[in-house]
Amino acid sequence: MKRRDWLPALGQYAALLPFVLVAAFPLLWTFSVAISEDPSHMWHFPQSLWPHEPGLMWFSRVQAEIPIGRYLFNSLGISLGITIFSTLLAIPCGYALSQIPFRGSNALFMLLLLTLMLPSELAIIPNFLTFSRLGLVDSYVAVVLPGLASAFGAFLMRQAFQDLPQDILDAARVDGASEWQLLWRVALPQCRAMVSALAIFSFVQSWNDYLWPAVILKDRLKVPLSVGIFNDLTGPFSTSTSMVMAAIIVAALPVLIAFACTQRYFLGGDESAAAQRSAIGDN
Amino acid sequence: MARPGVHASTAWLFMLPFLLLFALFTLWPLLFNGWLAFHDYFIASGATAWNGLANFVFLAEDEQYFHPALLHTLVFLLVVPVLQLVALGMALLLRVNRPGIGMFRALFYSPVILSVTIGAVVWQQLLQPDGLVNWLLASLAGLPQHTLPDWLNDPRYALAATLVFYCWKYAGYYMVLYLAGLQNVPRAQLEAAMLDGAGAWARLRHITLPALQPVILLATLLATIAALKAFQEIVVLTGGGAGTSTLLVYAYYVGFYGQNFGAAGAVAFLLTLFCLLLARVQLRWLGENGLLRHGGVR
Repeated sequence: MKRRDWLPALGQYAALLPFVLVAAFPLLWTFSVAISEDPSHMWHFPQSLWPHEPGLMWFSRVQAEIPIGRYLFNSLGISLGITIFSTLLAIPCGYALSQIPFRGSNALFMLLLLTLMLPSELAIIPNFLTFSRLGLVDSYVAVVLPGLASAFGAFLMRQAFQDLPQDILDAARVDGASEWQLLWRVALPQCRAMVSALAIFSFVQSWNDYLWPAVILKDRLKVPLSVGIFNDLTGPFSTSTSMVMAAIIVAALPVLIAFACTQRYFLGGDESAAAQRSAIGDN
Repeated sequence: MARPGVHASTAWLFMLPFLLLFALFTLWPLLFNGWLAFHDYFIASGATAWNGLANFVFLAEDEQYFHPALLHTLVFLLVVPVLQLVALGMALLLRVNRPGIGMFRALFYSPVILSVTIGAVVWQQLLQPDGLVNWLLASLAGLPQHTLPDWLNDPRYALAATLVFYCWKYAGYYMVLYLAGLQNVPRAQLEAAMLDGAGAWARLRHITLPALQPVILLATLLATIAALKAFQEIVVLTGGGAGTSTLLVYAYYVGFYGQNFGAAGAVAFLLTLFCLLLARVQLRWLGENGLLRHGGVR
């Protein structure tokens, strides 16, 4: 680094400091409380920001008293189910919207865009009534089904297929490939980056979803992590802050690790920018 | 363009599974909310009856719950400018690539990735009357601790605390939008201005901000819609108590606990209409031929 660069760099880091404090302080505190076997300092500032008598005692308490493995397993199953099936449904839909001309194509696309801008939470009550009619309350089918037709996914895949070079597709058509073969053998391999971006976004979103599974699932052992941990930590175990914090770390760690491995999809590259921009109503 | 040998029926076949589920779980709820808004609905017996505008009259007369909820939703719109300022500030600070910048980006984005329930449990602990936030305030401002507020249970502060939590959770999301937008600020102009002796503020004011205008517009619209539907964040942080209920929180409680699905439908209906209005604006600027299609720039 050249000498004249030092000063602005220092200024930049200094200006970042307050943001870092606000963003990092809750997580840092959580972590330090969770690994402190001695909880007496946890409400003292700033001593609470570093661990006292570090150890894993609270983690073993969590393991013994909260069925966290079961919650993790449920979360994994639900999120994988939603991610795989919603991506598989969105791909042909996006392909048809972008590559096959048909009447009403534009209107349908506008409809998808429109629903993206409406609060999806509004669907909770009607969907609950639908499933209670079908007798499917408290079933995994009911948790997964409403998340499968993702307008966001169809939209994203349409944009990806739209940007493909038309010559390649036409050449394959001339060679006699059916549209179905074209989609999976020619078009999709070129959109792999977008498919993975979509899959990661849907996984994170379904992993973090709280409200719908909380409404539709009744059995404590069926709920995903986001619901189970919230019910347990604000209910029976809320009095032991150390244990709450240890449970939080266990719940957050898989997500943070997954995020660290895939962060280029969130923080850089064209797919992420496109996906973020169009993630209307998806935060 | 005509595609010889490709039939429209193929398109419908490709979309069929998606469209079935879409119709059942996305479109039907919209219509059903519209229908509910004008009906009485009794879940136990399944009986329904047209009641005209009675549900809307019920809302208009519900001064105890609906009026505050409406007010709180409007107050919640305060997060829109705050989020833009914070996110733009973070993006400007993280624009230049220096050692460790990637780590800062990841750190600022991490609250977005974490489940809202996890964030809420942590902040509930932080904001307790004897929690860390009050300790921090007490030691910084020298106030005796027992005079500091019980943030989440005191109606005077609970909404403000919820707003802060909301900004903490989502600032990173908008930061990413601004980071992407900043990549399209013309470098040549910035360098020319620098040579001409323009200061940092002048460059921001006259080059960066004008170039960012489309992104600012987009982020503002997204944040507005997001703020209007603030719901999960509130349910998990305060349960909607202590003066923090918003329109959707109201709809949820009046439906599931009050068994008044008609009133819930009416709220949903009104909110849908309002969002459709916003969406119209949004589509004009950001739709197929708008900015969205062209990467948010020009």
